[in-house]
Amino acid sequence: MLHIKPILSSLLRSKSGPLLLLIQIILSVAIVANASFIIHERLALMSRDSGIAEEEILSFNVYNFDPSMDMAQQNKQDQQILRALPGVISASSTNMLPLSGGGWMDRLVDGPDVETAKSTPGFAFYLGNEQMVDTLGVKIVEGRNFFAEEIRSSPAESGILALVSKPLAQAFWGEESPVGKIMYQGTDQQVEIIGVIEQLQGAWVDHRNFEYSVIANVDWGGQGANSSYMVRAGAAALPGLKDSIIAALHRENPNRVIDNFKTIAEHRASSYRDHELMVTILSMMVVLLLLITSLGLAGMVMFNIERRTKQIGTRRALGARKRDIMSYFLVENYLICLAGGILGALLAVLLGQQLMKFYSLPKLELIYPLLTLAGLLLVTTMAVFFPARKAADISPALATRSV
Amino acid sequence: MLSMRNISKVFKTDLVETHALRDFNLEVNEGEFVAVTGPSGSGKTTFLNIAGMLEGFTHGEYLLDGVDVSNLSDNKSAAVRNEKIGFIFQGFNLIPDLNLAENVEVPLRYRGIKAAERRRRVEQALEQVGLGARMKHLPTQLSGGQQQRVAIARALAGEPRFLLADEPTGNLDSLMARQVMELLEKINQAGTTIVMVTHDPELARRAQRNIQIVDGQVCDFAASGLGQQQGLRQDQELTPLADLAADFAAKAKASA
Amino acid sequence: MFLYYVDLAWRSIRKTPFLSLLMVLAISIGIGITITTLNVYKMMSFNPAGERSTQIHSVQLWSQGPDSWDEFDVNRTYQDVINLRSANLAQRQAAAFRTGMALQSDDESIAPVLQSIRVTDSDFFGIFSVPFLYGSAWEASVDTEPAYQVVIGEKLNRTFFKGENSVGRTVYLNRKPYQVVGVIKEWNPQPKYYDPTNGAFNDAEEIFVPFSLTPIEEFEVWGNTNGWKFEPMLTYNDRLISEKAWIQYWVELQGKEQIDAYSDYLAGYVEQQQALGRFTDPKQPRDKQRLVDIAAWLAQNNVVAEDNKVLVGLSVLFLSVCLVNILGLLLTKFLKRAPEVGVRRAIGASRAQIFAQYMVEVGSIGLLGGVLGLLWAVGALQILSARFDIADGLTRLDLSMWLITPMIAISTAVIAGLYPAWVVCRTKPSVYLKSQ
Repeated sequence: MLHIKPILSSLLRSKSGPLLLLIQIILSVAIVANASFIIHERLALMSRDSGIAEEEILSFNVYNFDPSMDMAQQNKQDQQILRALPGVISASSTNMLPLSGGGWMDRLVDGPDVETAKSTPGFAFYLGNEQMVDTLGVKIVEGRNFFAEEIRSSPAESGILALVSKPLAQAFWGEESPVGKIMYQGTDQQVEIIGVIEQLQGAWVDHRNFEYSVIANVDWGGQGANSSYMVRAGAAALPGLKDSIIAALHRENPNRVIDNFKTIAEHRASSYRDHELMVTILSMMVVLLLLITSLGLAGMVMFNIERRTKQIGTRRALGARKRDIMSYFLVENYLICLAGGILGALLAVLLGQQLMKFYSLPKLELIYPLLTLAGLLLVTTMAVFFPARKAADISPALATRSV
Repeated sequence: MLSMRNISKVFKTDLVETHALRDFNLEVNEGEFVAVTGPSGSGKTTFLNIAGMLEGFTHGEYLLDGVDVSNLSDNKSAAVRNEKIGFIFQGFNLIPDLNLAENVEVPLRYRGIKAAERRRRVEQALEQVGLGARMKHLPTQLSGGQQQRVAIARALAGEPRFLLADEPTGNLDSLMARQVMELLEKINQAGTTIVMVTHDPELARRAQRNIQIVDGQVCDFAASGLGQQQGLRQDQELTPLADLAADFAAKAKASA
Repeated sequence: MFLYYVDLAWRSIRKTPFLSLLMVLAISIGIGITITTLNVYKMMSFNPAGERSTQIHSVQLWSQGPDSWDEFDVNRTYQDVINLRSANLAQRQAAAFRTGMALQSDDESIAPVLQSIRVTDSDFFGIFSVPFLYGSAWEASVDTEPAYQVVIGEKLNRTFFKGENSVGRTVYLNRKPYQVVGVIKEWNPQPKYYDPTNGAFNDAEEIFVPFSLTPIEEFEVWGNTNGWKFEPMLTYNDRLISEKAWIQYWVELQGKEQIDAYSDYLAGYVEQQQALGRFTDPKQPRDKQRLVDIAAWLAQNNVVAEDNKVLVGLSVLFLSVCLVNILGLLLTKFLKRAPEVGVRRAIGASRAQIFAQYMVEVGSIGLLGGVLGLLWAVGALQILSARFDIADGLTRLDLSMWLITPMIAISTAVIAGLYPAWVVCRTKPSVYLKSQ
């Protein structure tokens, strides 16, 4: 039996206490709902699969500062050395590193005429040789990989071939297969698409075209003084790989700086670091907020019980059972929580709209305020339960004693 | 010392208007010991609150020590209370977290008296009530009679001209009550005017003058010769016995 | 009297340890979170240019064609930079971009290091108030007559020249000799306001070389190169004649007159370029140029991360929850003490005195909470910087926080305490004096 009416009227009569609790719950729901929504968003971002063997790829940078060096030749030689190192599965030069936050973004058009050609969305433009697919650990689901003899040294040469990621293929060609299509860079540079990669992410984790990527058959390492390489190796070989790479390349030619050793997993970690930070701080906020709200509630219930000791004793003397007393306090709590929860959910939606308007945050889904309310009911039940049980233990004899 | 003229106090709620005091007149002279009695609900408490400047009133005039204190601001009335009036309550109303010395010191703090002077007066006041050796004790460590004596010391420390006592022996057994009463008499003999509200006719008889409040008006049948019986109607002359019976009935109801 | 109130406050806090602890915790956690986010925000939003912020301007031109970018780019094309530089109309002016080269000295025992380098003009040092330890910037003539000269940082000077005055000595960049003309003192503005485009909290470069060497040495571009149409970039010269934007251009202008005059000049320049077939977007020439001062420049580059703004907002809301929480607890606590207040009032305390007494108590709780909150914040910043590898500049506690924290803490507590203290000082003393 829930006697809501007398509880409600007693709540309405004692103005400030419940009102404060109400405000607190409204604000808590608004904050927690938005915070947990953002947390969930970020966790979803962070858990996306890159399609790459992140843990097995070691990337690094070689800066050749000897002006007399033949860069193209050196690049070929260096890759031979890398592939010969123990434990190395494959190696490729590259122009950019996946998930690293820096790289090339480009577009292709579907015809030579600038006026009528349709442009693809922007994509991450990887340049690599025939070993790049293996090095990245990506899967070709349609068409084929480059052959060694097809590799060019600049994207401006003729005979440029491309592998496109499936999300890009679907975004531009829909269900139609892109394999065999001729695309253009500018008016006269042709690019033939020869394969589709199941999944390959670009460099910018926050970019909306993050899943759109293209690999072209260009060994970019010999282009300038600065070359980047990716080396894929087994887990056992990876820890000592850095030292053996530096030693081997310096033995070949000491006039270079070899540094920026990082696995793709490390690139991933630093690219997502801000999101992780956000998740950490917001989670802390949610936990602390629920803690503070419930402790505050427990404190206030305890005080209320103390103040109403005599009243409770009188009720007991008049025949109220222990559970009647407990349910009185619990129902009182639920009434406040529900009212606060509903108003808080409204505020949460408003707050979410503001956040959406001013910052690039997506729209708050209604499930979050609802879940928050459920959590709040659970936490506050615990906060009220223990003091209420104490209240139920108040002796009916107290009623007759004039304190 | 204390002069109330035509004082009325009306409590209004949405439903009823209650006249707690109506055309209330009272003169208390310097150095007097006046006992105020009356049945429950007669207006004793209202009178006490007004006399102690804890509450305002609707009409009339109140002179304390020759000064009109009818419409003072909160700050000024607090200052008057602090300097001229000492309170003694039935429930002692000591502050439980403060020790005896600190309790007695409270009015002096609000008066802004220097530490050395405060200490001198506190010691003196506690000496006066016979508790000089217990300055550091907490109120809860004392018996009821001792607590009331501390309360009296607190009232005395401010060296008030006028002491208001509300059922000072109400919570005490008869032995302690007698001790407290003797203390009050001693204080009165030293020159302090005392007005004491009480239920106890025996206690009231020990005062120099008795005033009975009935229905918010003074019904003064003690021989005072001040000619303040005006406004007394025939039907209000209750016998003391009937008064007591009514009082008892009211008390029984209150504790039910 | 104040000390008396402090004494009473302390007794009261000790008397209800659980409730007091709850309040101090609530306020300290609220403060801790707010100060943590606020500190990062403050560090991010710091403007290192100070009062010179309105004198230093990034020159921005709408050089893109129609239907391409819909905002001004932070960088300029090489041809525009060359044109503006040769006009030489501002008080000071400097082009700048970032490159990198391997650094060596005559001392063969020191391993070559790959260094981030700023390619710029001699005025750069004056515009951004770069302090010199030895020597100075290269002569202004070098900006037109290229010379292999270099300014290096104090730290490099210690590594390569044992901290001696190295002016006149030689360093090698990609094995090419450059003569040291100046050594700058430790200089690392945070945020890196002269170029926040590749990490606003990265360290400043320690090597500066003349911009006039760019077409000769073909310095690699280590910053962003933005294009709005397809242009083949096979040679360095392709880059120099392209419409791609990759160079920042700075001018120093004093006062409205100079700024207006320079704007007029830029509008005229745009018109002239339109006549040559560039700047094809149909916009008024005047709307195709703008001068952006440092404050606006930092905003344009989103130096303050959006996430941080969200966090500051949420933590202020969090603090307000703590405030309401404390308000409830204080109300609870004070109402419990109403009888005592009744006695004090009867004894002669004025409302103001009671109010003051309780506000002192509330303020003490606020102060305790603030001190604890500051500790939380320091701890949180330490942990965050260790765990998330945040730039030190962002997690160092700003000096102002030592003032801001107690202020926020006490004012939060005082706001929370106002109502309860008001309620309790308004209680009618007579109500509580009757024994119950």
